[in-house]
Amino acid sequence: MNKSVISYGVYLPYLRIKRDEYISALGSCSAAYKEKAVMDIDEDTITMAVEAARDAVSGIDAAQIGALSLASANFPYSEKVMAGTVIEALGLNNNILTCQHGNSTLAGTEAFLSAMGMLDQTDQKYALVVVSDAPAAAAAVDLEHGFGAGACAFVLAKDEPGLEIEGVYARAGEAMGLRYRLPGETGVRDIGVKTYASQVYNETIKGAVLGLLRKMQLDPNDYSHLVLHQNDAKTAAALAKKMGFSEEQLNQGQLFSLVGDTGACSALLGLCNVLDNARSGARIIICSYGSGAGSQAISFKLSGACKNTRPVKSLLESKKYISYIYYLKLKRCI
Amino acid sequence: MEGVAIIGAGQTKYGDYPNKGVKELFAEAYLEMLQSIDQGLEPQQIQAAYIGCLSSGSGFQLGQLAPLLMGHVGLPNVNAVRIENACASGGYALYNAACAVASGKYDLVIAAGVEKMRDVSSSKGRYWLGVSGDTEYERLAGSTFAGIYALMAARYMYDYGMKREHLSMVAVKNHRNAVANPKAQFRKEITMEQALKGVPVAHPFNVWDCSPTTDGAAVVLLCNAKLAKDFTDKPVYLRGFGAASDYLAIHDRNSITSLAATRKAAAEAYKQAGVGPKDINFAEVHDCFTIAEIMAYGDLGFCEEGRGHILLEEGYTRPDGKLPVNASGGLKAKGHPIGATGCGMAVEIFKQLRDEAQEPSRQIKNARFALSHNVGGSGGTAAVFVYQRGDE
Amino acid sequence: MGAHISIPMYQRAVAQRYRLVGQKCTKCGKINFPPKAVCKYCQAGNEFENVSLSGKGKIYSKTVIAGGGAPPEFAEEAKCKGSYPVAIVELDEGPRIIAQLVNPPEEGYSIGMPVEAVFRKIYEEEGVIRYGFKFRMAAQSV
Repeated sequence: MNKSVISYGVYLPYLRIKRDEYISALGSCSAAYKEKAVMDIDEDTITMAVEAARDAVSGIDAAQIGALSLASANFPYSEKVMAGTVIEALGLNNNILTCQHGNSTLAGTEAFLSAMGMLDQTDQKYALVVVSDAPAAAAAVDLEHGFGAGACAFVLAKDEPGLEIEGVYARAGEAMGLRYRLPGETGVRDIGVKTYASQVYNETIKGAVLGLLRKMQLDPNDYSHLVLHQNDAKTAAALAKKMGFSEEQLNQGQLFSLVGDTGACSALLGLCNVLDNARSGARIIICSYGSGAGSQAISFKLSGACKNTRPVKSLLESKKYISYIYYLKLKRCI
Repeated sequence: MEGVAIIGAGQTKYGDYPNKGVKELFAEAYLEMLQSIDQGLEPQQIQAAYIGCLSSGSGFQLGQLAPLLMGHVGLPNVNAVRIENACASGGYALYNAACAVASGKYDLVIAAGVEKMRDVSSSKGRYWLGVSGDTEYERLAGSTFAGIYALMAARYMYDYGMKREHLSMVAVKNHRNAVANPKAQFRKEITMEQALKGVPVAHPFNVWDCSPTTDGAAVVLLCNAKLAKDFTDKPVYLRGFGAASDYLAIHDRNSITSLAATRKAAAEAYKQAGVGPKDINFAEVHDCFTIAEIMAYGDLGFCEEGRGHILLEEGYTRPDGKLPVNASGGLKAKGHPIGATGCGMAVEIFKQLRDEAQEPSRQIKNARFALSHNVGGSGGTAAVFVYQRGDE
Repeated sequence: MGAHISIPMYQRAVAQRYRLVGQKCTKCGKINFPPKAVCKYCQAGNEFENVSLSGKGKIYSKTVIAGGGAPPEFAEEAKCKGSYPVAIVELDEGPRIIAQLVNPPEEGYSIGMPVEAVFRKIYEEEGVIRYGFKFRMAAQSV
């Protein structure tokens, strides 16, 4: 039996900033969203991770969780076993297998795939995947305008029906892509070559998605939904079309315009929104992306129940808008 | 048990002393105390000293403060000990000194308190002041002492219908009382309008609801009651003294609109004195925050629990009321040099019961019994004393 | 200035701070939180079972700490927000606990309103993040 996701949880910070705030403060906004999610001063990727994970494991016997796979390109520490915090916050067994993935926005699906591997090494029934991210850059960097925040978590089961993982395919190769970050720096740098960056994004994702379709001997029409990593709103839509997917297949996974760029979370957060509404039997394909560059595509089939306590829609509606000045205060810029 | 009398008392003016340290402040209060003993006293007769101080824990003198101070006033060999129970350190110095005399072990014992709060930066001051609560929980909720008392005030308002204005009535009354007190830190009246509109501190409190930081020292000399008349015709008897504790953390207590420690300490003090709240002619109570005075009315038996604000409204505790409270100005306006406060209250009562209030205008007339009440932190500890004039 | 709560001291309480583990007295059955060596209810029992509290409760009392009066380790938060709300929460299981509130509703909130625990950064000292619980209005939980 294929491994399945049997439950998931999502966390979005309560605070939002509208694109209009950037425009009135700076005269322009480089990112084409309506609004994006912003962490409060007492939040970080670990607090978001814990909130999402708590929802994912509610109703699950925590003692049956044998592995924890954690991902973020923006952990609050550069060196520390972050899984320890999550284990204590959730009251998980201290002897579970752990891993943490970072360093690029590919980390989210990497953690997902690692969890599948770890499941084979534990006697327990479940593995927990937690992906939380909040990309950062200096306020003066245009890329920063798009950076949002969010977290999602998934419980993977060895042999229970749920969101079945049917197949995976990946592509990675040397290509700087859009952004990178140097040791000791808290923000990413934009390589600043737009067409090149888009080309790398397109080629890398295409390599993974089309490769997966080939491997599975399926074509776009076999899927109800496609979810792509979103650095912005437009590029993903154009690429989906090029690969033979319709707008309808893509729509539900596109959250950029309401939460911003959620880094390692991006494709997985989209998956959660899709799952909130997906019909039984639906096939879903997701694909992550990390500059540098790499992509991982995963094919799912909804063959059983996959539970969530808080729908993404209601999280998107529970919010408070802040000013750009307050945003800068939260980012410790002033 | 031996009877206990106060035969001498002295204190510095409360305030800001950039040029004086704890030793100088203590010495000033000590020498004033010696001078107040009508028939005089050979200092070497003093056998022990209990000295209240909190901030010696904050770094300037980590240990053995009491011998340091006693050595400074020429009594290096008396049995000297520092007593610490946060804001009630002075009260507990007095309590322990009283117990030492009552036990018959000593005949002449100093109860004193000293605090130097104005030397530290405000940031460091805040850093240290929060540590007398349950640091692991109260402090980590981002709360301060003002915050803890504010939580009491909010619940008092919710349970008993007290208004914001009632809190300010305490501030206005005590500031007015301090005007005539030469020992007070703030001798300036404030209007109700001012009291309602101060800079916010912790809702519902503004700055006028909070006692200040203060430098100061207070010293009283306790004597076996049998020997008191050898030193003065007008001793003040310490008829009852009680002390009790409570859970340090506010969330562990059954009620947060009453201090169980005060109630128990008061019951002990009244019982020992053989008097009740109705016999008290005036009182100095612990008004570190305005709500503290309002709660104290109920806890000390001056009214039923939850009616403290009504008592205030009726003017019952004004200097011209039936039971003047904090005629000195209280912690609010006389000042609150933490370790000294409890002993400073005894100094005030000693003067009043001997008809020696420094300014005739503030002398409370025909008083027989008085009470003082000193609270540690948010009520983790409390000490209550009943005094009787000795010249009748 | 050194830390008030040392790193090891903080770590010893993570079960309480991270996931509200209370102690059920085996003698009287009441739940103590934070932990005690002797049950605060029957004042006799000294053996307990760990129980995870739901984190749900009601506001028992509340205040707002103004920035200027905040303890120095909360200065950054106070500077950003101007002030922050603190409450005593009466948990559904009985114990009361003091904690900060997050996202206080602008239209106000009052004693008695339901809240639920969230996991947040409490403060940072010596470069180490101290995580723990705060509460949000239950109405914000969707």
